[in-house]
Amino acid sequence: MADMESSLEFSSSLTSSTLPPPRTRIFKIIVIGDSGVGKTCLTYRFCAGKFPDKTEATIGVDFREKLIEIDGEKIKVQLWDTAGQERFRKSMVQHYYRNVHAVVFVYDVTSAASFRSLPAWIEECRQHALGHEVPRILVGNKCDLRHAAQVSTELAQQFADAHSMPLFETSAKNPQGGTNDSDHVEAIFMTVAHKLKSQKPLVLSQPANTVTLRGQDQDEEQRGNWGCNCWRS
Amino acid sequence: MNLKKSRNIAASSVSLDGIGKQGKGADPKRKRKMADITQALNATPVDVGTLRRMAISEGGLMTDEIRCKVWPRLLNVPVENIPEKLDEVNRENNKDYNQVLLDVQRSLRRFPPGMPDEQRMGLQEELINIILRVLQKNPQLHYYQGYHDIVVTFLLVLGERLATALVEKLSTHHLRDFMDPTMDNTKHILNYLMPIIERVNPEVYNFMQQAEVGTIFALSWLITWFGHVLSDFRHVVRLYDFFLACHPLMPIYFAAVIVLYREEEVLDCECDMAMMHHLLSRIPQDLPYETLISRAGDLFVQFPPSELAKGATRERTQQTAASTFTDFELVSAQQRPDTVLRRRRREQQQEQQQHGGTANPQLGTVAVIRPAARRLVRLAVMGITVALGAAALAVVNSALEWAPKLNLLFP
Repeated sequence: MADMESSLEFSSSLTSSTLPPPRTRIFKIIVIGDSGVGKTCLTYRFCAGKFPDKTEATIGVDFREKLIEIDGEKIKVQLWDTAGQERFRKSMVQHYYRNVHAVVFVYDVTSAASFRSLPAWIEECRQHALGHEVPRILVGNKCDLRHAAQVSTELAQQFADAHSMPLFETSAKNPQGGTNDSDHVEAIFMTVAHKLKSQKPLVLSQPANTVTLRGQDQDEEQRGNWGCNCWRS
Repeated sequence: MNLKKSRNIAASSVSLDGIGKQGKGADPKRKRKMADITQALNATPVDVGTLRRMAISEGGLMTDEIRCKVWPRLLNVPVENIPEKLDEVNRENNKDYNQVLLDVQRSLRRFPPGMPDEQRMGLQEELINIILRVLQKNPQLHYYQGYHDIVVTFLLVLGERLATALVEKLSTHHLRDFMDPTMDNTKHILNYLMPIIERVNPEVYNFMQQAEVGTIFALSWLITWFGHVLSDFRHVVRLYDFFLACHPLMPIYFAAVIVLYREEEVLDCECDMAMMHHLLSRIPQDLPYETLISRAGDLFVQFPPSELAKGATRERTQQTAASTFTDFELVSAQQRPDTVLRRRRREQQQEQQQHGGTANPQLGTVAVIRPAARRLVRLAVMGITVALGAAALAVVNSALEWAPKLNLLFP
């Protein structure tokens, strides 16, 4: 618990001591997927910069946030980490779909079942009237367990393409992986943040910013599909 | 066999007892309490009323040894009838097995720090077995994430055999609504939280409403009896003493008391859903538990569930014959507190209009005074010494046969 709490203190001290100016934009991102796919670990990794020591089942909804800076603008990224068990999503989580700016779908590459549940999660979003303009990404977690993988990248990519989402395969535990020495989980959420920042009709009336991460955002006009290829760690 | 093993584990860990070992025997109050409990246990029939009071009053039941004897009495589980041999568990054919396994494997924090892995893993196996055993025997019950946090507490205190019996009873009574096919009833029970807060502190209530914080921050408190959020096992078992002796809605009153205790923090918080959810869902670990417990009991007496649900009692008179927990049954039976709230607000508006349409900022205060008066009446009616403390009263009265009579007072 100690680890978890220190990061929360960290995030809350951000908000209380260095209270951002009133016009700080807030990006609200909901993270959904089956139980045990690693939603808590991913959000914790992004907000605290490390893999949590021990995580437990999330009951209801947990909240984490991080203050980031893009092109000199401070932005608050709020991550809503949700319970995976079906009974919670049915009646408890709806409240948190309101005004969501982006959705992160998570599956576990070592669990075919968690991948097979994705259509249900997508349907869940549809029921909450989240339009196509709300960016959605697909994250295959636990890539460090590649030897136990049950979901191939090809299959996942097909699915992602069919639903106009970029696919990221990563590991909250060991996101450095391969040759890339930057934090891959951070990069994923930053990609979402950049996408949101560049989206014109968002939150406050700021001129759209065209800066995108790694220039992968050229076909923005093509609804929903924002041209990311699969990133592998 | 298993029982002994687990019990030894519990006993060997200093951190497991409700109260530290220091001063054991030296404290005359504690000594007297122990004597009272022993006497109540040895009485024929067992003096359950006294045991309830002991479980609620300061310090609770003090040691796990006492809990092993008293908890079954509080739940009315006849220990002598528990079969020596536990039912076989069929893991493969259980629809909840995967979820249970996943949650139990991740529940490392619930075990005493420093416990050898092997021992902990043995207990985790027992934990899985208890859960699946209760579920397979009661197919109407559905597993929810957080149930394992409750069961682990019983396992650590009582051992597998006794825990199985008590958890089964608890699951078909106190926890039954959480184990429905859906969480709709759980959501309805959560709806009792804000009315309690409103009656005590309208300012906090209004601020929270304005932030649209909802009640999900208290979800894990309610369905795990705070086992999920408190890191000190001593606090957890102390609360379990309290809740086991009480009306099943008491955890909601305790949740309200925590929010109210943090009044200043809440009012200082940014009036924003995310910020307030964040603030409230992180429970301070240094809460004054004894004070809060007695306050929760007071609130229960002042604003009994039947009153919070008043107006929604139509067509709900029969159904509950089997239950001692009349109030709880009202909730369980698909009462919708939200409609109650709406009606109550309408009534308030009408009341305001009758008072010449003047906005009445004192309304909340008025609401507090009326039930308080009623409470005095009730104390007199019962002729019980006030020295008991309202908390003890609340519980003794509602959890025993007295509760159904509430209906006579509040038809």
